[in-house]
Amino acid sequence: MGPPPIVTGVSPKEGPPGTRVTVRGEFLGKTASDLSGLTICGCDCLLSAEWKSPNKIIARSGPGKGKGEILVTTRSGGRGTSTVEFRGYHEMIGPMKESAVWVEEAPLRKMWWGRRGLTPTTYQHDDPLGISIEGVEQKFPEDGLHKLFPGGSGDLSSENFAAGWFLLERHHATPFDDLRAGLAFLRRKVDGQKEGQLSFIKSNVGSVMEQLDTLAHLKERFEEDVEKQGQDPTIRLEAAIKESMLEANKLFEDVLSRRERADATRSALAVLQRFRFLFGLPGAIEKNIKKGDYDAVINDYARVMNLFGNTEVPVFKKVLAEVESRIAQLRELLHHRLEDAPTTLEAQKKLIRNLVNLEVGGDPAWDAISCHSRHLAATMIQCRDTHLTQEQTALEEGGKTPKSSKSKGASSSNQNTDWQASVPARVLLTEELADTISERFPDFWKLGQAYFTGELQVKVVPGRQQDFKKLVLAGISLFSGLLRAALMPHTLVKTPAAERASYGVWHSRGMEGLGPWLPHCLRALRQGYSSLIRLDLPSEVLDIVASLIFDLRVHCMSTLMKQAGESIRNLHTQESWNIQFDGEHGGITHLPAECERVVAEALQLAKDSVLLADLRETPLLESNVVQRDLNNLILNMLLGFVEVLDKLALGSDAMAGDSLGASQMIGSPSIFRGSDSVMDKGRNKDKETGPAWEQRLLSVLSNIEYTKCVLLPRIADLFARYQLPAQTGPLAAVNKALAELDQRVLDAYLEQRSDPLVGTIEPSMYIGNFNWDTAVKPADVRPYVKELLTNLISVHSEVHSISPGLVWRVLPQLVETVAEELARLMVCLDRKFNVHGTEQACADIAAIREAVQVYSTPTAEAFFDEALEAVPRLSDTQGKKNVETVLNHFRSRMRLQLMCFRDPKGTRNPS
Amino acid sequence: MKKPNQQPALHKVIMVGSGGVGKSALTLQFMYDEFVEDYEPTKADSYRKRVVLDGEEVQIDILDTAGQEDYAAIRDNYFRSGEGFLCVFSITEDDSFQATQEFREQILRVKNDENIPFLLVGNKSDLGEKRKVPLSEATGRATQWGVPYVETSAKTRANVDKVFYDLMREIRSRKMEDNKPGNSRGKDKSKRKKLKCVIL
Ligand SMILES: Nc1nc2c(ncn2[C@@H]2O[C@H](COP(=O)(O)OP(=O)(O)OP(=O)(O)O)[C@@H](O)[C@H]2O)c(=O)[nH]1
Ligand SMILES: [Mg+2]
Repeated sequence: MGPPPIVTGVSPKEGPPGTRVTVRGEFLGKTASDLSGLTICGCDCLLSAEWKSPNKIIARSGPGKGKGEILVTTRSGGRGTSTVEFRGYHEMIGPMKESAVWVEEAPLRKMWWGRRGLTPTTYQHDDPLGISIEGVEQKFPEDGLHKLFPGGSGDLSSENFAAGWFLLERHHATPFDDLRAGLAFLRRKVDGQKEGQLSFIKSNVGSVMEQLDTLAHLKERFEEDVEKQGQDPTIRLEAAIKESMLEANKLFEDVLSRRERADATRSALAVLQRFRFLFGLPGAIEKNIKKGDYDAVINDYARVMNLFGNTEVPVFKKVLAEVESRIAQLRELLHHRLEDAPTTLEAQKKLIRNLVNLEVGGDPAWDAISCHSRHLAATMIQCRDTHLTQEQTALEEGGKTPKSSKSKGASSSNQNTDWQASVPARVLLTEELADTISERFPDFWKLGQAYFTGELQVKVVPGRQQDFKKLVLAGISLFSGLLRAALMPHTLVKTPAAERASYGVWHSRGMEGLGPWLPHCLRALRQGYSSLIRLDLPSEVLDIVASLIFDLRVHCMSTLMKQAGESIRNLHTQESWNIQFDGEHGGITHLPAECERVVAEALQLAKDSVLLADLRETPLLESNVVQRDLNNLILNMLLGFVEVLDKLALGSDAMAGDSLGASQMIGSPSIFRGSDSVMDKGRNKDKETGPAWEQRLLSVLSNIEYTKCVLLPRIADLFARYQLPAQTGPLAAVNKALAELDQRVLDAYLEQRSDPLVGTIEPSMYIGNFNWDTAVKPADVRPYVKELLTNLISVHSEVHSISPGLVWRVLPQLVETVAEELARLMVCLDRKFNVHGTEQACADIAAIREAVQVYSTPTAEAFFDEALEAVPRLSDTQGKKNVETVLNHFRSRMRLQLMCFRDPKGTRNPS
Repeated sequence: MKKPNQQPALHKVIMVGSGGVGKSALTLQFMYDEFVEDYEPTKADSYRKRVVLDGEEVQIDILDTAGQEDYAAIRDNYFRSGEGFLCVFSITEDDSFQATQEFREQILRVKNDENIPFLLVGNKSDLGEKRKVPLSEATGRATQWGVPYVETSAKTRANVDKVFYDLMREIRSRKMEDNKPGNSRGKDKSKRKKLKCVIL
């Protein structure tokens, strides 16, 4: 590629259309043929371009107006640039006007013959003031001009010329100095004009003389001619013209006759062609039908009817009859194809159009629509039957399907390949129906739309609109009914029995295990729904599906909640009694966490599919009924957990569990049997492994506490996170149930523990034939005191090992019972105390009282006082001293044991 | 300082002088190194190209105007846009020399500037034997006007580049002068106007 052309010079730089322009520059083409384009002011001027040299081209400017580039294109250098511009303008110039430019003849000629004739004064120049108006493109609004100069005009040639108008229009942005210069210019020009005509003749005297000579010469020659040819030279001319016409005709006669013959041959050939077409047509039709090119057949048919439709020739008639019969076959065929399983929408539309073109009677389009509708219904019914039988066989085989699906249900979002086998038939049905509706229904609907909008080019029979709507409604109702029958038979209770039966009757056993699949079904259904929404269906139709979806959502939600409730109720089988400690709440088992997990899972599932409203769906919770149901469901679900706790603590299973009865304590005063029992495998060997009942009670108590303080608030948080309104009602009810259970469990435990504890006091007190009236001087507290304390310690340790906080609920109660028993024993004593007996009793009671002081209550203190009052007063200081000695001895000997009852840095529960 | 990418400075030169003195011939010789023998009266031609002026790339824009009296009317307009003038006469034609006076006056009137870059050019110096305008007369007028006088030949290319480059240099220094702060053009103008009044 060579260098691109560049235009650097233009001569002249402005002019009216047709101006001869010399374009100069560089690389304007190596040869004339190298030049491939030239535009001046956007007008293509290649035609007039004359290539002179690589530096020069001469061309004529086009009709472009205004300034513009001069662009040269060459084959060797491509499209070029220019550094100079040409300005095109239009001007009108009278014949008497001295003009420096070459005047186009065309506009002048118009004036010679125009009605206005020639007015020598007509003078129009772009710029009479000689002031450049280039670049001053701001226009003065014309309305304003009309207002300022009513009836005026800015046209120089107008009678109403108003100078102000002219100046405003052309020069409203011109500086004053320039206007002054313009005035001077105009004045000079006017002056020049005055002497112009004279000077014009003066300066052109040569050519004027020449013209005069020419005119004289012309006259001379004309007179000569008249002399020679007579007044009217046209006679001879006319004769000559006539003669030449004759000659010309003679010349062309031959050619013309040949042409005629050619035409005749051609039309004969055309006729033959037509006959060939006719006779070949039956074969052609057959071939095209086989190929499926019905359009071609129809075209041919139309053509043949056009050409030979009215023929009387017997042969033709015969052939035509054959054609007709083929066409009739085709009609038949097309009709059948239309009624067969519907293919794509386009194919159907085409078929219908073909049939219409073939002038089949009836209403093929409507046939197609009703056939489509029938087909849709049949497909759905068939789908139902397939899956109904599938489920029946599965149920007969032993209900394998629901069971296996249950385990899969939780992970239904990511099924693996073999899931198909275990998917319940109803789920498959749902999927299939949703697919059917989203695949087939749109075609059906669009076909109908095409029918009514006239796209199918058939006349719409009145009333069809209504019929079509019925068909649509029937189709969708069937869809909805089939799904309801399979997924939510309870919503069909109010439906007439016959209609209900038409939707299919499913065995109630098949409902088992369907729960986890419901969100999946909902998804499938929503997909189908979204494809319906896109169709712009009447809302009446959409509402059917919408209500189906709504019901399914409600059903799905309640199933999910019920399921969660069930899982929670089954949690008791999972209790392992493994105690875990978290710093704050003592020991708990993993049940509360399990419960929370189940709830969270259920909410997650519910949220994904149920709670969030999809396109054109109402938020579920807007309905009060649903809200109430939901509350009930939640309450029920959570109460499940209370029941589980109840069952674990007080159920018949639990009671039958191993118990640390009183017997083990009697006679084994100093062994911490209670707390050891978990380790004591021998004792629990025949039972299922697990802690003793008392410990279970304690675990449950601890769990209850945890549930109240931690689990329920967390669940409330969960609800909030899933944007469920705060479930205060159910939560409060659950709290209440928990509190009640708590009390019962605690009572059970206390009873379990205090009975043996208290029961051992009396037998122990009189062990070894001890009697208060025969007592010797006391050296120590009596063994029953030590046993009592040891037993208390073992309970303390048992409780503390599970939940330190519980110690404060258990021990004070026990202490009260112990104190009451002591009081009862002392008051009901029928023997008298001897002096040492009195000392002994005082020491014993004081020791006990002192030991359990931390857990004592006002009631307990009262009992202790009552016990002391039953004992005679110590008479002398010696007695008091003896008691003190005994107590001191007791304090030092039992130091370790006593430490157990101390309040270890404030574990006391504030409550 | 000039940025490398900037469009080169543009100097607008106008050729004035009577018809047939060789304005177009000079222009075409300068632009394309060619000499046109036939006379084709000009209306208004426009040329523009890049040249290197004292090591600096600039653009020269040449407006070749009509010498014929017929076109005198449109001159005013053209003169207004000029930044420098080559006032050409033919040394073989006294009329053309006399006409330079008129051109000078018209330019001063339109430009309203006594010091407008201006060169008096005596063309056709190759036709020395037909000289009608004595050298002394021409230099005298140039001194009177305070402008340089150069004799050229469009045919032999003698001094052709010189007149264009000299004029561009003047234009350039005038522009630099005008851009100097404290030497505002407005002030200058009023001064010049007074001067002009005196002349008239
Ligand atoms: N011998 C000689 N002839 C020249 C010279 N310059 C111009 N001519 C001739 O003089 C004639 C007129 O030259 P142009 O350049 O067209 O004159 P112009 O000044 O442009 O005239 P207008 O366009 O009418 O104003 C042409 O025939 C040229 O060949 C020169 O330096 N020496
Ligand atoms: Mg010229």
